[in-house]
Amino acid sequence: MKSTQYSEKVLDHFRNPRNVGVIDNPDGYGKVGNPVCGDLMEIFIKVKKNEAGEDIIDDIKFRTFGCGSAVATSSMVTEMAMGMKVADAYKITRNDVADELEGLPPIKMHCSNLAADALKAAIDNYRLGTTSEVEVATSCSIPDIKVILGLEDFVGKGVFKEVDDLFKFKDKRVLILDTGDKSLELALELIKYTGRVILLTSAKNTPGSEELKKKLKKSDVKILYESELLEVKGTDDVEKAVIHDFDEDENYELFIDTVIYLEN
Amino acid sequence: MSIYLDNQAAKPVDERVISEMLPYFRDKFANPASLHADGDIATDILEKSREMVADFINAPNPSDIIFTSGATESNNLAIIGAANFYKRKGNHIIISEIEHISILNIAKYLEKQGFKISRIPVDRYGIIRLDKLENLINDSTILISVASASNEVGSIQPIEEISKIATKNKILFHTDAIPSESTLSIDVQSVPIDMITLSSNDIYGPRGVGALYLKKGVRVNPIIIGGGQERGFRSGSENIPGIVGFAKAAGIMKNEMPKEVEYLKGLRDKLISGVLEIIPNSHLNGHPEKRLANNAHFRFDYIEGESLILQLKEHNVAAATGSACSSKTLEPSHTLIAMGLLHEEAHGSLLVSLGRTTKLTDINKIIEVLPGAVKRLRIMSPLTPPELLKKYKEVK
Repeated sequence: MKSTQYSEKVLDHFRNPRNVGVIDNPDGYGKVGNPVCGDLMEIFIKVKKNEAGEDIIDDIKFRTFGCGSAVATSSMVTEMAMGMKVADAYKITRNDVADELEGLPPIKMHCSNLAADALKAAIDNYRLGTTSEVEVATSCSIPDIKVILGLEDFVGKGVFKEVDDLFKFKDKRVLILDTGDKSLELALELIKYTGRVILLTSAKNTPGSEELKKKLKKSDVKILYESELLEVKGTDDVEKAVIHDFDEDENYELFIDTVIYLEN
Repeated sequence: MSIYLDNQAAKPVDERVISEMLPYFRDKFANPASLHADGDIATDILEKSREMVADFINAPNPSDIIFTSGATESNNLAIIGAANFYKRKGNHIIISEIEHISILNIAKYLEKQGFKISRIPVDRYGIIRLDKLENLINDSTILISVASASNEVGSIQPIEEISKIATKNKILFHTDAIPSESTLSIDVQSVPIDMITLSSNDIYGPRGVGALYLKKGVRVNPIIIGGGQERGFRSGSENIPGIVGFAKAAGIMKNEMPKEVEYLKGLRDKLISGVLEIIPNSHLNGHPEKRLANNAHFRFDYIEGESLILQLKEHNVAAATGSACSSKTLEPSHTLIAMGLLHEEAHGSLLVSLGRTTKLTDINKIIEVLPGAVKRLRIMSPLTPPELLKKYKEVK
């Protein structure tokens, strides 16, 4: 899919962005992203009480530097949050934003992530009085794509989001996604049960804390660098994983029995 | 049809070329390998076409031209083919930092096969540093490959000087001539080059056909194996209609290039001065003089290129950007980064490439709509400084 193959709804919000601008003396202000990565968003909110005494978003505005979907997701999140209870607005997720826009090209999913995060940052700022500047700059080139086709369909059929009994992975071909140090620790544990543990990471080098790095290097865990999981496939249970290699910019399939995706 | 200003990506096929090709789909469709009379007709036109393409670059022998399926294949044949043929002599290849993606990826592939690759850095205009080139050469260097110009910022590379350095050091020299094929003439008898990648579409011929010029005596291992066509260098039944179109396009280009280049330069300079004058905080990427006649590459502060392309799309104007957001990997253009631009600067780039069908009205149109498109995005951008915003709001 072309990165600019946008839905009509995305294009509408790009052409006619809602609530562009700045609120002077806002009750809440949030800023996320990093121009180095090509995205930077600011959200301003004004809050008032409704009759029941609950906080509601009375006014909301945004400013965005970024691609078409960065503009559209910012516009959409302001439209969704306008007039909403602050407590409800805080719960808007990136998927909600993407869904309201009738979907985004997979590679652009991180833009909707930013828009929801900017709103959260503005609400945090309102509630806590702290200006939260979240720099999502750890690795610009590798977007935070969390849409993995088929993943949800195979939960319990080879996809695990949490792991208790390691013994059931004995001699299985396990693909584990790098979602932080916890996942790395798990990979190091799993290698004691099965010789075939593949760690998938978007990083260029061995991920994790210095200590984990050392352990991983010594271990038999096979690491696939600069990669992401695009799709999980199988007839009944998990059989294959489609992996994207950023460095080569190509997709390939890997035969596996298990995918472990620990959510943070 | 859009106002088409993306000729670096694809060019329309010249009507005269299409007419020339048509008989070879219908009546003269035979395979040159066939022994019957129809096959002879195909052989004759194939060889006549080869002469015309050879003539385009003043190659002494028509047999120096090997027809391929296009520039990417020619680059593969030249670099992988030469690497494999000459690997006993050495395993070091030099390319530049601003090559086309096909060459960058071929280099990566060869690295995995055990070859050593060096990349010549460029200056801030995107022109390779000749002084660095000499330092990179060592005893195991077998090949230098540098494009004739940057396919993005349009900076013309010092091909003659590289040729001298290669000759002096007895190293093969390949150039991917695609970026400048329609604007700079090539004469291999005055500037010796061992291998040249050519493409039909880049001179207004059909797509799916190209050629590799292989100087007499230079050898490459074939990368496509089969019936031994093209002297064994490139198997597969010849694409006769495509080759006929390519040859016709080369003939037209040779005759019309001087006039066309003058015309394009006029439009390009009008575009560049118009844009830089009207739009505040706008910059020209690449060399101000040593640039292709059909290339204008801009950078606008505080905005991102993909959204600029979308804005222009609204006005029915087709152009390109080097912004990361438009690429599959979300990496900004390697050329702009190699030139020393910051990531945030590379994001705001716009490539306008002109061609044979570009009219003055097209240039006027983009000059008319671009300032508004940039302004719209700047008003939305948190990076735009307050003074500029104020200026924008005053002139309503």
